[in-house]
Amino acid sequence: MTEMKKAEPPQDISEYRGVMVYLDSFNNTLTRAALEMVGVGRKMADKTNEKLYCAVIGGSTKDMAQEAGLHGCDEVYGFDSKDLAMYRSKPFSDILAGLVHEKKPNILIVPGSKNGRDLAARVAVKARSGLTADCMDLDVEPDTRILLARRPDYGDSTMSEIRCERHRPQMATSRPGTFATPEPDPTRKFQVDVREVKLENNQLKENIVSFNQKNEEDITGSKVVVSGGLGMGKPEGLELIRKLADLLGGSVGVSRPIADLGWISREHQVGQTGETVRPNLYIAAGISGQPQHIVGMMGSKVVVSINKDPDAEMNKNADYVIVGDLYEVIPKLIESIEKVTGTQSLPA
Amino acid sequence: MTLELVVLIKVVPDGKEVFVDPVNFTLNRSMATNVLNPADENALEAALKIKDEHGARITVMTMAPPFAEPFLLECMSRGADQAVLISDRAVAGSDTYPTSLTVAAAIKHLGKVDIVFAGEKTSDSSTGHVGPGVAEFLEAELATYSRSCRYEDGFVIAERELEEGVEVVKIPTPAVVTVITDSNNPRRATLRKKLNAQKKGIIVWSLQDVGLPSDWVGLRSSPTVVKKMLPFPAIERKGKVIALDMIDDFVKELVDSGIIKRGGN
Repeated sequence: MTEMKKAEPPQDISEYRGVMVYLDSFNNTLTRAALEMVGVGRKMADKTNEKLYCAVIGGSTKDMAQEAGLHGCDEVYGFDSKDLAMYRSKPFSDILAGLVHEKKPNILIVPGSKNGRDLAARVAVKARSGLTADCMDLDVEPDTRILLARRPDYGDSTMSEIRCERHRPQMATSRPGTFATPEPDPTRKFQVDVREVKLENNQLKENIVSFNQKNEEDITGSKVVVSGGLGMGKPEGLELIRKLADLLGGSVGVSRPIADLGWISREHQVGQTGETVRPNLYIAAGISGQPQHIVGMMGSKVVVSINKDPDAEMNKNADYVIVGDLYEVIPKLIESIEKVTGTQSLPA
Repeated sequence: MTLELVVLIKVVPDGKEVFVDPVNFTLNRSMATNVLNPADENALEAALKIKDEHGARITVMTMAPPFAEPFLLECMSRGADQAVLISDRAVAGSDTYPTSLTVAAAIKHLGKVDIVFAGEKTSDSSTGHVGPGVAEFLEAELATYSRSCRYEDGFVIAERELEEGVEVVKIPTPAVVTVITDSNNPRRATLRKKLNAQKKGIIVWSLQDVGLPSDWVGLRSSPTVVKKMLPFPAIERKGKVIALDMIDDFVKELVDSGIIKRGGN
């Protein structure tokens, strides 16, 4: 419990050094978002010439700690307990807040997955510090060591730069898919400290009754995303989108209005209030290109816009523009891909 | 003893009415009307379902200027028993830390509370920090991102919808539950409840009422500060127009550059 008091800044902020990354995991495997944060954390630590710490909590963290080290971390702290194999809000936040108290990092970044956000919000209160959610860019000022946390403004084509000047650690989350993952370096030197954790009964009141793993695709990890917007005009348009996505081994995305209409579940929604994707190929079909949508796909390598309107905003955010009715263009595209790659598509 | 439920709400600009200026590509907020944050409607409905089954007293609560009053009355018209508006000039500019602190203090001031419901996030700032922050200050158990929940003998059983799947957790009360958008069908107000709500009115509390010093909240006691607005990082895109009869060449180009792989990705 955190006593109800104001967010008091520490007396001496110069004690707070280095960057810490919390590593999200599932089934004793680091998430892609965790590695994304290691990459961003490494860049910031290099800029201030400080250490990158990582924290991982789970049933058995040794291998995950090793992986984090190879991807750029200097000191990895693992916390093991059979009671921590699955995320539990109270013990996880107690442990991370404890490590923050011990290592006093200047910056703490956490993957913005659902459990990551749950955790970060609690740790910010425990540490009596500031937290900025959904950052699309994270940077540090080398001389002041101030974190520059940039997040998109609601429905706007601007972003705000948010600072936490007096409180420590300076905390931020970013949505999974916001940053590229770093390459591992097998020659990297790093330290691993895995600790066995003993938990109190009052930390273990949350009982996990069951977990049903989803079979549904996670579009944030896809190399190809084909998205449909209002230009589809009818729910059946998604069948065509699906056919193209399947042919390319990719996932189906949609703009917000399509999810609002209930044509497909929210997990497929790309954009500010949905998912963030950064595939090699993003095809936007019948999407007007509102800023809320652009934020969710701007990290894509190659963007193709298919739109009847030659002046659609989406076209300005695309590498290739095909002007035309998607019901005419996509079948042509499918035919051409089958011909060029020799791959057959499944019947729709 | 009656179950005591609290539902936290926020009044936000209506995302659907946000109008994007086609000329300079900016957002025109003057066109937007205010609405109840969508996820909070689902949070209220989750509480009402527990009231239907077990009987409960529901207090709906918000920290806002007086313009939020009609929205509190609307919640009472749907079945909440009372409404608290925490309104004080000193809270202006609060980030999520002092907001969580103030709301937690107000909940404590209410007395015994079994379950606090909140939306998973608000549609305007969408941080999702306040629910967990309140749980931390109240030393309550927490189930975030719940798509359905029920109450059973001093416990909340909630289905949490996560990236990897659906997790069922059982936590003892007092508990904070954050509810995901579209997870249920919010009921409509009834005329009788509407009239009762108007008769009953709203409870307005100041910071002093909830026992917080005014220098603990507001902009000056918020750890985070918005320093500047920046345009989105510009990503130059070629915008090369592909004619319909050139699609084969275009596909070949993507295959040659490795963007489309033979045999799928």
